[in-house]
Amino acid sequence: MTARALQRRSTVPGLATRAALAAILVVVTLAPVGMLLLWSVSGGWLFPSLLPGQLTSEAWHAIGAGALTSAIYTSAALAIATAVIACALALPIGRALARLRGWRRHVGAAAAFLPVASPPLALGTGLQVMALAAGVGGTAIGVLFAHIVPAVGYLALFFLGTFTLFDTRAEAEARTLGATAAQTWWRVTLPLLRRPIVEAMAVGFLISWTQFALTLVVGGGAVRTLPLEVFALVRAGEDRASAVGALLLLVPALAALAGLRWATRRTALAPA
Amino acid sequence: MRQSRTELRPGEAALAIERLVVPFGAGPGLTDVSLTVGKGERVAVVGPSGVGKTTLLRAIAGLAPITAGRVRVGGRDVTALKPEERDAVYLHQSPVLFSHLTVAENVAFPLRVRGRRGRDVQQRVHEALGAVRLESFGPRAVRTLSGGQRHRVALARSIAARPAALLLDEPLSALDPSLRDEVRSAIVAAQNEYEPGALLVTHDLDDAGLLADRIAVLLDGGIAQVAPPAELFARPQSLAVARFLGIFQEMEGCAGEDGEVACALGILAAGQRVPQGPVAVVFRPDAIRIGPVRPGAPAARVVAVRQRVRSTSLVLHVGENANSARVEATVLPGGAVAAVGAEVGVVIDPDGVLMFPT
Repeated sequence: MTARALQRRSTVPGLATRAALAAILVVVTLAPVGMLLLWSVSGGWLFPSLLPGQLTSEAWHAIGAGALTSAIYTSAALAIATAVIACALALPIGRALARLRGWRRHVGAAAAFLPVASPPLALGTGLQVMALAAGVGGTAIGVLFAHIVPAVGYLALFFLGTFTLFDTRAEAEARTLGATAAQTWWRVTLPLLRRPIVEAMAVGFLISWTQFALTLVVGGGAVRTLPLEVFALVRAGEDRASAVGALLLLVPALAALAGLRWATRRTALAPA
Repeated sequence: MRQSRTELRPGEAALAIERLVVPFGAGPGLTDVSLTVGKGERVAVVGPSGVGKTTLLRAIAGLAPITAGRVRVGGRDVTALKPEERDAVYLHQSPVLFSHLTVAENVAFPLRVRGRRGRDVQQRVHEALGAVRLESFGPRAVRTLSGGQRHRVALARSIAARPAALLLDEPLSALDPSLRDEVRSAIVAAQNEYEPGALLVTHDLDDAGLLADRIAVLLDGGIAQVAPPAELFARPQSLAVARFLGIFQEMEGCAGEDGEVACALGILAAGQRVPQGPVAVVFRPDAIRIGPVRPGAPAARVVAVRQRVRSTSLVLHVGENANSARVEATVLPGGAVAAVGAEVGVVIDPDGVLMFPT
C-alpha cells in the first residue's frame, strides 16, 4: 500500500479540519470569557469600536461594597453544605445501587437520574410545594434542600459508577484481618475512595454554585445567591458589574478543572 | 515434609468444619463438607472448577453465608461470629494490599485494628517481614513491589494477626513458574513462625502435592477423599476421584465370583473386594510396561509412540474384537521403545491397578 493510500485510511483529520475545529472550540469556549474580561474593565465601549475606549478597574473594586459580596458568601455556604451533605447521602446510595442486579438496578439508577434530567423549573415547582409545607419556603434551608436534591441524584450515579468498579476484596481481607465494619470503613474504604470523594464534592459544589431556577423558585427571591445577583445586574443593564459577577461565577469551575488536571497528572492517568 | 496427621484429637485442630452446607450459584452448592486441619498442618482442597472451593474458604472466613453446619477455629465455635471475630485470615488469589499504606503499615494493620501500639507492634512487624525475607521493605510504598513481593507482604500481614487458621485461595495460580517457588517457600516460612493451620485451595494437583500434608478432593458438594498426596495419587478411593485426578486410564471389565476381573488386558486378580458384575479397571500409565511376547500373557500391538519432554509412552491396542481397548504405557528412561505396528507383550503391575464397581 502506498504512503498516500495509508494516509487516506488514517483516522487523524487533516490540518485544515483540525484548524477549523480548533477555531470552533475557541469561539464557543474562550471567546465569551474574553468578552466578559473586556466588559469587566471597560470604561465605555460603543459601537462600532472593536475594543473598549478606556479601561477601568472600578467594577472590580466595587465588589467589596455591593450586594455581590453577601451573594458570594451565601452561594459559597450553600455550595459547601450541598457538597458535603449530598456526598454523604449519595455515597451509600451509590454503593447500594451498585450491589443491585437486573431490573432493580435500572429502576434505582432511573430514580437517581430523574432529578438530574428534570427541567429545574419543573423540579423547583415540586420542591417549592414541599418546602412551603415544611415551613422552609423562602429560606436558605429550603434552598439548600432544593440544591441537595439534584446533587444527590447526580452524585448517586457518580458513586454507582465508582462502586461498580470498586474492588471489595480489600474490605473482605481487612475484615478477616480483624477490622470491624466501622474500622474497615474508616481505615480502608474511605482512604481508597479519597479521590472520587474529592471529585464528587467538587461536582456537588458546582451543582449548587450554578443553580438559578431552583434558588429563585424555592427561595422566592429572598435568598440572594451570586447567579441571582448577576441576573439582576444584567437586567439592570449594569454591563461592567454583571461581567465581573459572571467572571466570579466562573472561578470555582476553573479551579475544579485545574485541580482535576493536577490530580490526574499526579496519578499519571491523563495523557501527557 | 512433615508427618501427615490424619488422626487428630479434638483440641488439636486449628480448624474443623462439620457438615457444612453452603449455597451458591444455581446448583445445590456445598451440601455436606467436613474437614479438619491440625495445628501447623497444610491441607489443600482440590476439585473441578465451579465445585465451590473458593466458596468453602469464604464461608469459613465468614464472608459467605452458610445454611447449616459448624465451623470451629482453634477449638472455638465461630459459626455465628463476624469475620473479624473468627481468628481465620482469608487471602485472595492475587494479593490485596492497602495501597494507601506502606508495607510496614500494611503488616501492622491487624495489630492496629486491635488497638495495639508502640514497640510491640514494630517488633511483630519486623518478625513477620523477616519470615518472608522482606525485613528492609517496611518503608516502601506498595506500588513499588513486584508480584512475588506483594504475595509475601500479604502473607506477612496475615501472620502478624497470628490467626489460628490461614485460608489461602489459589495462592500460586496467578504467578509465573519462576515466582511459584518464591511464594511456596514464603507460605511454608510464614507458617513455621507459629504453626497456624493452613487450608489452601488450588486447581493444580502438583501445587497441592508440593505444599500440602494432606489433600482433600471436593466433588459434588462434599469431600470425596482426604489423604496424604502420595496415597491419594496412588490409591484414589472412588472412580470419581480417580477420574478427577486425571492421571488414570480406565477400561471396562467384568468381575466374576472368584474375585477375578476379565478385561481387555486379560484376567486380573482384583486387588480389593469388588462385587460381581461390571467394573471399571483403573490404572496409571506406569502400571503397564511392554516386554517380549509370551504365551499366556496379554499381547498388544503398538498403535502410536508419544514423545514428551520428560517421558515417552506407547499407545497399545490390547485384546481382541469386542473385548479390546487402547491403553497408554510409559516407557521408563532407558527402556526399549517399540516401533509402530510391532507386536509386544504387556506386563501389568497388579499394585497399580484399581477396580471400582460401575
